[in-house]
Amino acid sequence: MTEVFVKVGFLALAALNGAIIFTIMDVKGASWMQRRPGPLHVGLRGFIFPLAEILKFVQKEDIIPTEVDRPVFKWAPAYVMVSCVALFAVVPMSPTLVVADLELGVFFALAISSLGTIGVLTAGWSSANKYSLMGGLRAAGQLIAYELPLILAVVGVVIQAETMSLVGIVEKQIEWGVPFVVGGQIVGFLIFMVAATAEMMRVPFDMPIGESELTMGFMTEYSGIRFLIFYISEYMNMFILCAIASTLFLGGYHVPLLPTEWVNFYGPVVLLTKTAILGFILVAVRWSQPRFREDQLQNLAWKILIPASLINILVTAIMKVGF
Amino acid sequence: MVNTLDPQNFNNFSEASVSVEIETEDMTLNIGPQHPSTHGVLRLVAKVDGEKVHDVKPVLGYMHRGYEKLAEVRSYPQITTLVNRIDWVAGFSNEIPFIAGAERLMEIEVPERAKHIRLILNEMARISSHFVFNGAYALEVGALTPIFYAMEDRERVLDLIESVTGGRFHPNFNRIGGVKPAAGSGPTTKKDIQDLPAGFYRDTKVAMQKVIEAADQFQNLIGGNEVFKKRTKNVGILSAETAEAFGVSGPILRASGVKSDLRTQMDYLPYDQFEYDIPIGENGDCYDRWDVRVKEMIESAKIVLQAIDSMPSGPLQAKVPKVIKVPKGRTYVRAENPKGEMGYYIVSDGGLGPYRLKVRTASFSNLSILPLLLEGALLPDLIAIMGSLDFVLGDVDR
Amino acid sequence: MEEFLSKIQENFIKTDVAFETINIKVESSKWIETHQKLKDEFDLKFFSWLSAIDWDNEVSTGEAPKETVSPSFEIITCLSNVSNNNLVTVSTTINKSEPKITSLVEIYAGANWHEREAYEMFGINFENHPNLEKLYLPDGYEGNPMLKSFELISREVKPWPGEVDVEGMPEESESDESVDG
Repeated sequence: MTEVFVKVGFLALAALNGAIIFTIMDVKGASWMQRRPGPLHVGLRGFIFPLAEILKFVQKEDIIPTEVDRPVFKWAPAYVMVSCVALFAVVPMSPTLVVADLELGVFFALAISSLGTIGVLTAGWSSANKYSLMGGLRAAGQLIAYELPLILAVVGVVIQAETMSLVGIVEKQIEWGVPFVVGGQIVGFLIFMVAATAEMMRVPFDMPIGESELTMGFMTEYSGIRFLIFYISEYMNMFILCAIASTLFLGGYHVPLLPTEWVNFYGPVVLLTKTAILGFILVAVRWSQPRFREDQLQNLAWKILIPASLINILVTAIMKVGF
Repeated sequence: MVNTLDPQNFNNFSEASVSVEIETEDMTLNIGPQHPSTHGVLRLVAKVDGEKVHDVKPVLGYMHRGYEKLAEVRSYPQITTLVNRIDWVAGFSNEIPFIAGAERLMEIEVPERAKHIRLILNEMARISSHFVFNGAYALEVGALTPIFYAMEDRERVLDLIESVTGGRFHPNFNRIGGVKPAAGSGPTTKKDIQDLPAGFYRDTKVAMQKVIEAADQFQNLIGGNEVFKKRTKNVGILSAETAEAFGVSGPILRASGVKSDLRTQMDYLPYDQFEYDIPIGENGDCYDRWDVRVKEMIESAKIVLQAIDSMPSGPLQAKVPKVIKVPKGRTYVRAENPKGEMGYYIVSDGGLGPYRLKVRTASFSNLSILPLLLEGALLPDLIAIMGSLDFVLGDVDR
Repeated sequence: MEEFLSKIQENFIKTDVAFETINIKVESSKWIETHQKLKDEFDLKFFSWLSAIDWDNEVSTGEAPKETVSPSFEIITCLSNVSNNNLVTVSTTINKSEPKITSLVEIYAGANWHEREAYEMFGINFENHPNLEKLYLPDGYEGNPMLKSFELISREVKPWPGEVDVEGMPEESESDESVDG
């Protein structure tokens, strides 16, 4: 029993830390790209400002509008958060440093990531606000549409690795000597990253939030700690999807040429570095791109990404059988 | 089964539509007056069917300050302070046609130097207004960074305007018969008038060079962006005929392919002495409206650079009576504002103030096209179209 | 311009030119006809604005006209052509007791909002207007603010301080013809 608590505590802490690191990266990256100082005043040249941010939101009044569906409205942020944290359970930091090395790790991750959709949709629906409703519906449409290319992109990796366990996938890449992104899954990787960006609801796929259109989308009516949970979940989601992408495509906790016997020591560092590099790409994209339109987003998913990922699976399967 | 979507309005969406009609109910969506992208306090009441918008009703008046009524109880010099608050993004441009109208009725010949200074500041106001548009428009289609670059570049121009007039947004710099001595200048005795602050020419040249660079950068980074093109091309197409019937003017009219620029007709400012192009668009869509404005910034910077080089010397003020009384008569003076045709119809009865002052603002007529353009658009297009009209609520409501 | 002017003078009786603007005065019964003609035959497709003037001898705001006028509304439209210099204002006078005129929306769609503004500000009824509602003023607002009889309440409470400057000017300074800037 204690082990379960330790594991859950570790998960929550790790995910939270990841989210905080990504928040700093996003905000500092934004100020760097926008030629402005950015946060400066909270300790260490502004680098610990997320703590102040969290304290601020915790202090704020948690406003619940009168017309909302109270229980649903209150619990919606929890769904989103839980799905993010649970997702982290299967990500291996090293062969042994993994909360749950499931046989069907990939399957679990993709299933859990869909749970967030429910949270977003219920948040939009229960808010009794038309902007929230539209944001929630947009989010639902988007998350469902991009779940498919996400899964299909992973199928290529699964075929190549012949396992669904994330540790197994990394071990396979060590065995191959090169990560899958070099070893034939470059298309899959690109599709995965695009779909993951849409799953995170980041620019250019941030229509569910769409500040200039829907004020704040499904989060419009939230304030105080509940808003904070949404806010942090966004970055957690970003962190974890980047970690999964590094695990699946970039060789996870291992870098070629480093001795495998020391992997328990350098594993977490390597994984975090890879995650941070992917995160930085997402930050750069966010602060330099406009937003797609809802119909263009759906077109991209159904007309380009899904056929492309199907072709990717086909090619991978042929290669696998043929060679 | 009837396909309820009009394919002409949105090509992409209609491809994805299915021919099954679902029983849907229209939702009335209230946008504004407090909404991130309504430029102040515009309120739209729209019927939405999912993402599709129809039957948009703009609700105005949140910024109505009754300038036409106030003008009736003020004297002519007092009205100048009033009018540069109409379109606060380009405050200086609002003064020009009013002052020109009063001067025209009083038959005052303005000194050339004053005219040149007016022209330079007018073009600077245009540049700063287009910078605001550029940043804000990118923000509206979802790009968060350009506004910081636009604001930074605009700041240089505003600094120049401030160094001459003493005001960043509301210069109140024009006087009937000329311009006021500049803020940064020394003691204004009759013999020793320094009308422009020291270093103005040098700073202006640098700043205008930066404006041209910034406009190029905008064309590359925003205009060349695929997502931006996807969002704005073939969205909100406005034909030239409709635009004319609605009195839509300025960059929006030019984006629809009409080569009409009132600067060629403003005989009270020496625009005919300078060379500049009038950029026009082809399709009249949001992208063209954006593109025309960016190109206009470059042209304006060129005009300023030429005007700096050919600045005549001489007095700043014509001889005017101490008490300004405008002779009986009426005139309509129009000018090419950053937003379009701005004009004042002054009806004078020979008194200290006008008997009636009709303010014709560009944004008012430009905004009246909005319900037509938004018919059948998608909600994200609503924002893109609304932003491309580049209105200021003070200019609409007056 | 010359050609255009002579053509206008042939077609309309009361015209005059001031500051390169051609002013045409018509009867209110010929309002629609005139605009149709100007649009079709004179190619004035650009609808600039429409507004009204309240002519009255007794005023509550501003100065009264120096010469006695017959109380009436003057409605003015401004038309132009985007490709040349032609600028025409058309004006007509209507009775104050029965302020109504036919709407121009059929000819110039852009007249819509301008007429709504004139309707709420002056109380002029535009017949056949598709949607003659208030444009700026809130629901339940009484009165027509732009009428000369409508008082500016704030000026009643406190006179405009700027007025002192101008009105208090001694007579002789006016004879001192000019100043140097």
